[in-house]
Amino acid sequence: MKKVINLLLLSCKKASELIDKSSMVKLNTRERVMLRMHTSMCDACSAYQSQSKVIDTVLHKHLNKTEESSVPPVVNDELKSKIISKL
Amino acid sequence: MNRETIIPEIATTLKKWVEEHSDSLFSWALYKTDSKETAEDLVQDTFLAASTSMHHFKGNSNPKTWLLAILKNKISDHYRKVYKDPHGKNAINIDSVFDKEGRWNPGERPLAWEEETGHLLDDFAFIKVLNSCMGKLPENWFAAMQLRYMEGKDGAFICQELEVSDTNYWQILHRAKLQLRKCLEVNWFKIIG
Repeated sequence: MKKVINLLLLSCKKASELIDKSSMVKLNTRERVMLRMHTSMCDACSAYQSQSKVIDTVLHKHLNKTEESSVPPVVNDELKSKIISKL
Repeated sequence: MNRETIIPEIATTLKKWVEEHSDSLFSWALYKTDSKETAEDLVQDTFLAASTSMHHFKGNSNPKTWLLAILKNKISDHYRKVYKDPHGKNAINIDSVFDKEGRWNPGERPLAWEEETGHLLDDFAFIKVLNSCMGKLPENWFAAMQLRYMEGKDGAFICQELEVSDTNYWQILHRAKLQLRKCLEVNWFKIIG
């Protein structure tokens, strides 16, 4: 019986792994069902799931959607003359 | 750059571009890599690449856009290199997050966050915390995240480029996220309850 339960139940470690994996690839049916069962019973992993989504959204915007105009301008004359001297 | 290989006409154009655009390119590279030295190298490489591929440049397009595209490729190359040759530091130990049975260790259990998360990036104080938390990630984890989110490429493609197995790559991103989550929780988010 314990073996059967272990087959059906994920550990939090495995569940959190599947949560992050799911943001990159589609989980298979077994993984999806097991994950849903786990998060419905586990507050911590359920919190992790929503926070993982928040982090995804934030990183996507922060790392990908940067507009050139929002980058703080820095002057580097030394570099300029260095490159020109090599031309 | 070899003097003999650059036609004078091209050299004049390049010089003008350096004058006009090297600061914006440097600013971009610095913002993306957070290292003055790396940013300078990448901008130099960009002009070097430009000098040898001028014939690809179409006269009617914007030189700055063209140079920026070259620079963005150089930045990705840079992170691919870092990923393969990391100076490992500060990696969380997965065994300190979970116990032997795979349960969250006390103190590591994620708790619900109080904040509205929709407009986080409008808040400069949050961006500062986010950058500092990302700066604490091991370099190759940071590189893996940059590649994943910077270009929005799909996982399989990045794995192929980095020559790592899918599983290995997910594991790294997963660990990076665990560490980032904890850092953000400690330094920014208020817990409900």
